[in-house]
Amino acid sequence: MNNGGGKRINGGTEEDDDEDDVNGDLDAWERTYTDERSWESLQEDESGLLRPIDNKALYHSQYRRRLRSLSSIATAARIQKGLIRYLYVVIDLSRAASEMDFRPSRIAVIAKHVEAFIREFFDQNPLSQVGLVTIKDGVAYCLTDLGGSPESHIKALMNKLECSGDSSLQNALDLIDGYLNQIPSYGHREVLILYSALSTCDPGDIMETIQKCKKSKIRCSVIGLAAEMFICKHLCQETGGIYTVALDESHFKELILEHAPPPPAIAEFAIANLIKMGFPQRAAEGSMSICSCHKEAKVGAGYTCPRCKARVCELPTECCICGLTLVSSPHLARSYHHLFPIAPFDEVPPSHLNDPNNKLQRNCFGCQQSLLNPGNKPGLFVVCPNCKRRFCLDCDIYIHESLHNCPGCESFRHSKPVISNEE
Amino acid sequence: MKFQIEDVTVYFPYDHIYPEQYSYMIELKRALDAKGHCLLEMPTGTGKTIALLSLITSYSLSKPQSPIKLIYCTRTVHEMEKTLAELKLLHNYQIKHLGPQARILAIGLSSRKNLCVNPTVLAAENRDSVDAGCRKLTASWVRAMAAENPNVPTCQFFENYEKAASAAVLPPGVYTLQDLRAFGKEKGWCPYFLARHMVQFANVVVYSYQYLLDPKVAGIISKEMQKESVVIFDEAHNIDNVCIEALSVSVRRQTLEGATRNLNRISHEIDRFKATDASRLRAEYNRLVEGLALRGNLPITDNWLSNPALPDDILKEAVPGNIRRAEHFLHVLRRLVQYLRGRLETENVEKESPVGFVASISSHAGIDQKALKFCYDRLHSLMLTLEITDTDEFLHIQTICDFATLVGTYGRGFSIIIEPFDERMPHIPDPVLQLSCHDASLAIKPVFDRFQSVVITSGTLSPIDLYPRLLNFHPVVSRSFTMSLTRDCICPMVLTRGSDQLPVSTKFDMRSDPGVVRNYGKLLLEMVSVVPDGIVCFFVSYSYMDGIINTWNDTGILKEIMQHKLVFIETQDVVETTLALDNYRRACDCGRGAVFFSVARGKVAEGIDFDRHYGRLVIMFGVPFQYTLSKILMARLEYLRDTFQIKEGDFLTFDALRQAAQCVGRVIRSKADYGMMIFADKRWKRIIKGLSSQKEISKKSPFLLKAPKSHSRFNINSTVFNSS
Repeated sequence: MNNGGGKRINGGTEEDDDEDDVNGDLDAWERTYTDERSWESLQEDESGLLRPIDNKALYHSQYRRRLRSLSSIATAARIQKGLIRYLYVVIDLSRAASEMDFRPSRIAVIAKHVEAFIREFFDQNPLSQVGLVTIKDGVAYCLTDLGGSPESHIKALMNKLECSGDSSLQNALDLIDGYLNQIPSYGHREVLILYSALSTCDPGDIMETIQKCKKSKIRCSVIGLAAEMFICKHLCQETGGIYTVALDESHFKELILEHAPPPPAIAEFAIANLIKMGFPQRAAEGSMSICSCHKEAKVGAGYTCPRCKARVCELPTECCICGLTLVSSPHLARSYHHLFPIAPFDEVPPSHLNDPNNKLQRNCFGCQQSLLNPGNKPGLFVVCPNCKRRFCLDCDIYIHESLHNCPGCESFRHSKPVISNEE
Repeated sequence: MKFQIEDVTVYFPYDHIYPEQYSYMIELKRALDAKGHCLLEMPTGTGKTIALLSLITSYSLSKPQSPIKLIYCTRTVHEMEKTLAELKLLHNYQIKHLGPQARILAIGLSSRKNLCVNPTVLAAENRDSVDAGCRKLTASWVRAMAAENPNVPTCQFFENYEKAASAAVLPPGVYTLQDLRAFGKEKGWCPYFLARHMVQFANVVVYSYQYLLDPKVAGIISKEMQKESVVIFDEAHNIDNVCIEALSVSVRRQTLEGATRNLNRISHEIDRFKATDASRLRAEYNRLVEGLALRGNLPITDNWLSNPALPDDILKEAVPGNIRRAEHFLHVLRRLVQYLRGRLETENVEKESPVGFVASISSHAGIDQKALKFCYDRLHSLMLTLEITDTDEFLHIQTICDFATLVGTYGRGFSIIIEPFDERMPHIPDPVLQLSCHDASLAIKPVFDRFQSVVITSGTLSPIDLYPRLLNFHPVVSRSFTMSLTRDCICPMVLTRGSDQLPVSTKFDMRSDPGVVRNYGKLLLEMVSVVPDGIVCFFVSYSYMDGIINTWNDTGILKEIMQHKLVFIETQDVVETTLALDNYRRACDCGRGAVFFSVARGKVAEGIDFDRHYGRLVIMFGVPFQYTLSKILMARLEYLRDTFQIKEGDFLTFDALRQAAQCVGRVIRSKADYGMMIFADKRWKRIIKGLSSQKEISKKSPFLLKAPKSHSRFNINSTVFNSS
């Protein structure tokens, strides 16, 4: 096409074009260091010693951003949350999952964090149940049925980590749709898809499947490991889920753990609903009975269903005989805090600490450590908006993420008459 | 939002404005103040259209004593609709803030095909037959006949429009083509003639380039536009080609055969008229003797395309004697067709200047220059006299007369090229005679002369100093704005070497090298495995694309690509391509992912958007130079060198660059979009280095692609290509 013109244009300066090769002369091993810039995470302290950068403040600000985004939804109006969740985690085991861009491989990273996620999930949602589904060679398999035991899920997953073939979103959704349709209406149906592939090979029209999921009120969320895909975005938008793409391993961890706290309930589902539950008694140590879930005789440490007196091994679960939901009261209590989250603490600039008026409290109310940094310089700290107690950053995170109660407010509550007298 | 630019209060319908939009408006305002022409470049996706519209309407509102008219020219009907939709938004905003005094009339004007509401006429498949269908129902003699004989069909919409006469007006507002049709249906008036009538009263007119640039159309549509108008050519990077095409004619063997058929039919008609109504022919003769203007006193529906030459070049004289009589004119045409047929039978490529060609016609066929010059008008008059309505049948003879008139009128800036066969397929005889115009400034000159301000704007006009030379005008403002990006949403790269370190290029001596083909295949293969959804690839030509796809198929690369994404290919067949595009979109939608192979300078590269997930990556394989052995291009280059002192190399590079920028610009249509662009040819490095306005960035775009690790071995330079 362009011989004539091309020649004329190139004719004059037929130089070779490889004069500027920025990092072409580095070896592969050198380049990995150049990319990671490991020296930048070091810092010199006053005495000239090297030490890793103190990224506590950075970490804390990240955490607060997340807290604020969560609480801005939660505190605006008291939003109903789905406490009883039925979640299917879909793990894409297609060819793409064996890619090495996450170290050591995508699938290893997924497995590691799914394990952490399942534990965290049951910790935060003791009344909920999880099932695992894998996609391999274009077909979806159910790895574990819905259940409340983290150990069984993790064990099942760790045995099946080979990747091959294509991935099919539609097959997975169809399979899950079939399972989730059977669960009772008070349960919240959710799917979390961990998607490694960049395409989906479907047997039919996936748009219909998405509409079907929407109709059966399944909330689908996707975490991508490769790049943003239109169909995933569409799926999440239609069903009210969240679509995110992980940039690296730590980001992936952050994203997957975001799915642990219960999401706001879907409006049509938010009708108040009474659920029949049993609170079984723990059987006496040493008593022997046939367990209804494993169908074998076991000694001690079981629970007895209050309605049919069958023995089950673990809580929470559904009684295999009479179908009653069996929980223990701590489970309920642990779910409760999602409905009444503690307000985020206010950040106070460190200079306030030296204010003569505020001399009273120089220690964290939680851990009683000094709020001053080692060099007697004031550090960052936070204040509870209700009780005005001061807390260090570590306690702040601990109170909001694990404790779910403010020690300051709780201690006031016990001495309630004193407060009313003061007012 | 509302803000002040010097003495003008600008009403802008959005809450935010980009900095480049603001500076764009300032420059535009200066040009309007100076009443001069301007040349403005701003990348696509920065809201050029709304900036233009809101500044000019606000400017007009702030100076109520001297209202200016806005003529907005777009390339396609689709763009016309988009512009009108934006204008509607703006208009509603201005009314909200200013009240009824801000009311304007804005209409879009298009061909009958897009505006007709008569179902019987609309059933025809192409534009010409819709035009003819309309004429059959609305020509003055048909209507006269219908008045006597009620069985003669007429168009109800047009009759109603005529009956309403001066009462048929559009109330102020913004009318898209859709709105016009709806309004016409509701009132029972013909939207096409209504729109044509309202054009002279409207504050804003949106129509196609041809209505101003092509003298055939401009003569009837745009002749009544006032001088105080602002003319905007949007997406005008190809405006020189549009100008040239407006004045170029090509004649093939089929054209001549068709013309002979047409002539037989005409002579038949003449005989019939002689037998029945001889006075009619005599009346026409007398009219021609007096040299009456052919247009002007004719009813609006009998108007056709007017003379193809520019208005200034048409002689205001009586038609010469030797073609006044219908039979004589017919003989002249027959001789002309005969002569052209003889010329087409040549074995060699011939190139001639119009002057020599006219001399040769006059010695061989005995037709002098003046007679040639009047051919078009004479044919027009004859067909009116003979009351011929199915004009779509007579396109061939019209083409011949078109040719004759242009050849008779212009001595410079044109050449006549006869090629006995296509250069690429020398075995198949396909003779073609082309009258090609080399001077883009000819067609656009009347526009520059007539209107107060002409704005030429596009996303890609660099190098911006070339356009004033090509179009031969002096802009008062000529500026280029760069896009301000708040995040890295584009990632352009130049790839000079393949994974085996061999340079890649589509240079003629390298393109068939198996190493280059393999490296291109490898590149695509790696990209399909890491890029989600859609990928668009542009090749330099159809033949190159066919060749490379065949090789990929033989070596199994294509099969590997298909494992990741489906493959769709643009062909020269429009229907096939449309179907491929449709399926490509579906594959992108449903998550399967797809690759579209297309050709730079093709239909797809010019008009189809691959925004959002339809194009996450575009790969430009090679540099899209024009086919430099083409006789027409060579003649044009020679003319440019001699007349405007533009070097051949400069022009070719400029042309390749704007084509490439068009291709890669298809993927980013707004700032919210993101995408990656790869220029795969070693020559790109030098071309882009040559651009003065380039910037270097090395950051990768976020949230997008993780280029495979092996890619760092590619010799990749990230370069922001300001035109993309």
